[in-house]
Amino acid sequence: MDTKWKSIRKVVSFIVFFLGVTLTLWNLPGMFQRMPGKLFSGTGAAAFEEDYQQGRSFRQYISNCLENFLSIAINGCPTYWSYYNQYSSEYSSGEAGSRIEQEISRVMENSQVTEGTALAADAAENRWYGEYGWYDWNEWEEEQEEGLTEEEKARLQRRKEKLIRNYFSGMEEDKNLLYSISYDGKLLYSNADLILADGSVQIPEGYNFLLYFDGESVRITKDGKDVDIYGDGYWREENDWYVPGYRNFPVNDEMKKAVICMAAAKEPALYTVGLEKNGGYRQQNNALYWMQYNLRAERQLLRWNMFGFAAGLGLLICSFFCRRGRREAADKIAALQGKIWIECKVLLGVMVLGALLTGMWRRSWEYGGYDVWWEFTQIYAYEGLEAAGEYIKWMLSDLLYVPAICWVTLFWMIYLLGNDLRHNKKMWTRGLIARCCRNFSTRELKLPLARRMAHRSAILFIVVTLFSIILLAAAAGFIEENGRRNYSGADMILVPYCLAVTGILLTAYLVGMKNVRAAREVDTLSKRIGEICSGDYTAKEGEADNSVSGNCTGQEKNRLCRRNESEMALGKDLETARVQLENIRQGMAGAVDEQMKSERMKVELIANVSHDLKTPLTSIISYVQFLKEEEGLPDHVKDYVKILDEKSQRLKNMVQDVFAVSKAASGELPVNMEELDFGKLLRQTLADMDEEIQGSSLSFRTEIPEAPVMILADGQRMYRVFQNLFQNALKYSLKGSRVYVTLKADGKMAVASVKNTSHMELDEDKNFTERFFRGDKSRTDGGSGLGLSIAQSFTEACGGQFELEFNADLFIVTVSFRTDHA
Amino acid sequence: MSDCILVVDDDREIVKAISILLEGEGYEVLKAYDGMEALDILASRQVRLVLIDVMMPRLDGLSALMRIREQQNIPVIVLSAKSEDTDKVLGLSMGADDYVSKPYNPQELAARVKSQLRRYTCLGDIHAGSRIGEIRNGRLLYRMDEKILYADGEPVRLTAKETGIIELLMRNPGRVFPAEEIYRRVWDEEAYASENTVMVHIRRIREKLELNPKEPEYLKVVWGIGYKMEKH
Repeated sequence: MDTKWKSIRKVVSFIVFFLGVTLTLWNLPGMFQRMPGKLFSGTGAAAFEEDYQQGRSFRQYISNCLENFLSIAINGCPTYWSYYNQYSSEYSSGEAGSRIEQEISRVMENSQVTEGTALAADAAENRWYGEYGWYDWNEWEEEQEEGLTEEEKARLQRRKEKLIRNYFSGMEEDKNLLYSISYDGKLLYSNADLILADGSVQIPEGYNFLLYFDGESVRITKDGKDVDIYGDGYWREENDWYVPGYRNFPVNDEMKKAVICMAAAKEPALYTVGLEKNGGYRQQNNALYWMQYNLRAERQLLRWNMFGFAAGLGLLICSFFCRRGRREAADKIAALQGKIWIECKVLLGVMVLGALLTGMWRRSWEYGGYDVWWEFTQIYAYEGLEAAGEYIKWMLSDLLYVPAICWVTLFWMIYLLGNDLRHNKKMWTRGLIARCCRNFSTRELKLPLARRMAHRSAILFIVVTLFSIILLAAAAGFIEENGRRNYSGADMILVPYCLAVTGILLTAYLVGMKNVRAAREVDTLSKRIGEICSGDYTAKEGEADNSVSGNCTGQEKNRLCRRNESEMALGKDLETARVQLENIRQGMAGAVDEQMKSERMKVELIANVSHDLKTPLTSIISYVQFLKEEEGLPDHVKDYVKILDEKSQRLKNMVQDVFAVSKAASGELPVNMEELDFGKLLRQTLADMDEEIQGSSLSFRTEIPEAPVMILADGQRMYRVFQNLFQNALKYSLKGSRVYVTLKADGKMAVASVKNTSHMELDEDKNFTERFFRGDKSRTDGGSGLGLSIAQSFTEACGGQFELEFNADLFIVTVSFRTDHA
Repeated sequence: MSDCILVVDDDREIVKAISILLEGEGYEVLKAYDGMEALDILASRQVRLVLIDVMMPRLDGLSALMRIREQQNIPVIVLSAKSEDTDKVLGLSMGADDYVSKPYNPQELAARVKSQLRRYTCLGDIHAGSRIGEIRNGRLLYRMDEKILYADGEPVRLTAKETGIIELLMRNPGRVFPAEEIYRRVWDEEAYASENTVMVHIRRIREKLELNPKEPEYLKVVWGIGYKMEKH
């Protein structure tokens, strides 16, 4: 239940964190893109008013129309910039830009459905790009520059008329924007009766915006109210309306003759006409309709962005409160990540990063796919630092238009990378390449050094050869190039070049061979070291000259040896090392021999001494016994005899103990290992010593499991160990205190401990298991001083561990054995 | 008639001590100070038992033992300062009937001499064919119908529980019984804290039948496993 809840908490808190971050990041760029004031005029609540006429794009559109109409009225032709601006104002409104493309494709689809020819699609495209007269205008401008003949003038006039026809073809039927253009008192173009005969302006039903240019200034009425256009009368960048009539943007004489009136619908509609000739239908200009449509869509998106951003922030705050679960989840994820091969991660990372970069610079690509860095350097070089700074700013502001998914993906990639790096310290070792390398190196390690060196030399040689070939080829190409240009003697360069390459190759080969030979010597040497290490101290004189055959006579051999030595010395890098090793070997052999001899002597000495001690001791004990049985001795003599008896018994014990401990110390103690129950051993030992225990003032507290604890040991020896330990406890414990005997067994170890409170202060500096160590310095009690020493050496002889520790007056002995001996 | 015992040791004081000890027990003691001397005496005198040291000049104890065994079947107790198990095994396998390590306990030595002599003189013929209802193990004999244990032919006074333990162990010489099993079978109760009770009884029986209760030869503790009757 608890663990289930924990895992649920982990998952939930991570999901909260994930959603929080994702929502925040997803909506942040959108919010900046659609920031009020950038797209809409006014800030705050006004920005959300459902009035497309408040938009900047509307104002631009209307201004441009005015400019165009003026141009048409004066020149009989729309301006170039009018097309451009119309195009860009549509286009720059963020995601609405793609409306144009959609529009085209929609028209194309429709035309196919209605069995229209490709002409319909062409028409749609033309309407946006061609029909506005890009190409015509360009031609016209060129022609205008030259002196024109009459015929050409007529052609120009025809072209102008075509341009105007094209210009109005979409607008005439688009009743969202009504217009009326008069020049010099004559009505030129109009799609509605806006100006009545008396010169007053009439606004039809459904139109709430009116612009009236009377040749002096522009008057705008919106919802029946006049709009203040000019302010203080000076045009500035931040002014809403870019129209003539400012003091610094005055109306010129030609303009004065023009009267232009425009009215915009409150709710623009989509005007479409059928195409009689081709079948199908096409839409009119409908700029205002799409403007309103896009603005609404953008506002809706902004609302969603804000909502999503707020929700994301809320979730982030929530995730702050359950960050422990999140961290646990991160650990889990890291564990999963740790299992993935590093190559997969790198590949995935590179792919995602590539996709991201492409996505991020998508806009730049759309602008023509130029090299951003190149352009930057160009700008820096020709226009100076300030312009370059501006360029960077512009590029950075461009980042705002990077799709939100890129930011989100980038964040999670960095997060996962950080998570991986933090938790999986050795992530580099987990992977195909790393595994191959490991495999290769472990397999190579098994080979002798000479082979490894040979491999390495071969690799080096191959690389050098490859480079030489590349260099040669390059040189040959260079010479041929020069030769073609008739530089005489250019190919003479090739001769020293070839010589150099040959030299390099030869050197590489020779050095490689030499290294391999040295490595072979190292191999021999290390083999020898290995032999010595594993205890083979025998001399191997034939080592150095393998070529000397075994069946030649001594003299011959000597001669061959000498010759061989002088020969070998030429290529011997490690001769001194070999000689030194040989010296070490001899020293070691001597030392080991010495050691073994002395060890043997020690054991013999102990055996002899103990024998020699025992013989007189036997007599002493025997005769003391007789004395004890003698009757009629004076009392003081009886006391003497009693002392003699005690001391001779003690001497006997000591002699036996010394013998046992020295045998154990020299590793010659015979042990009869068998499987036995550790707990039973302790109980038996306690039972065996029951009388002594009952007779003492101490009480034994035992904690020995009933279930058998099987260990592998010599029962007799271990009995002796615990007998000694208990005797020690009995002898050195504080009167009336308790002795704790416990046995604990886990799967691997069985640990028995004997704890008692010492009756005297324990000195931490003393080594209690030291031979002949005594609890008290006076050495007057009955022990031999070998009890703990015997216990330790017997335990170790049986393969157990014997440990001593004390804490204040608490004396603790632990004896531990492995229980998984099988 | 008193039995004649040959004591051989190069240490004269020990020989003297042993002879004092054995003469106190009523035996006739002959002394020798090396192996050759011992063989000479054996050739000329009727000897019932030999106590012989191992490390001696001229002819060591084990060699002398082999020579003795070539001719005679009398009990030989080896007395040695070598107390290792391997030494004991060596001595016993060379034909010794018993092995006592120095420094010996005088009472134990006397008891061992007595035991060996009794087996040799009194029980030798019985040894040939054991009757039905009898279990023989070394110097021990248990008669199941009488429920009496004999050590060296002499009845040992045991309590009912002790007899039960002895019967169980004598019936299965060499087999190791955990304390719980002994308790269950002898007391006929579920074992609880049986170790101490069984150990106390075992120790009491040892006092009665072992020559040296501290180094038992028959009733042995197999440490960490249980108890057994050593097969002899």
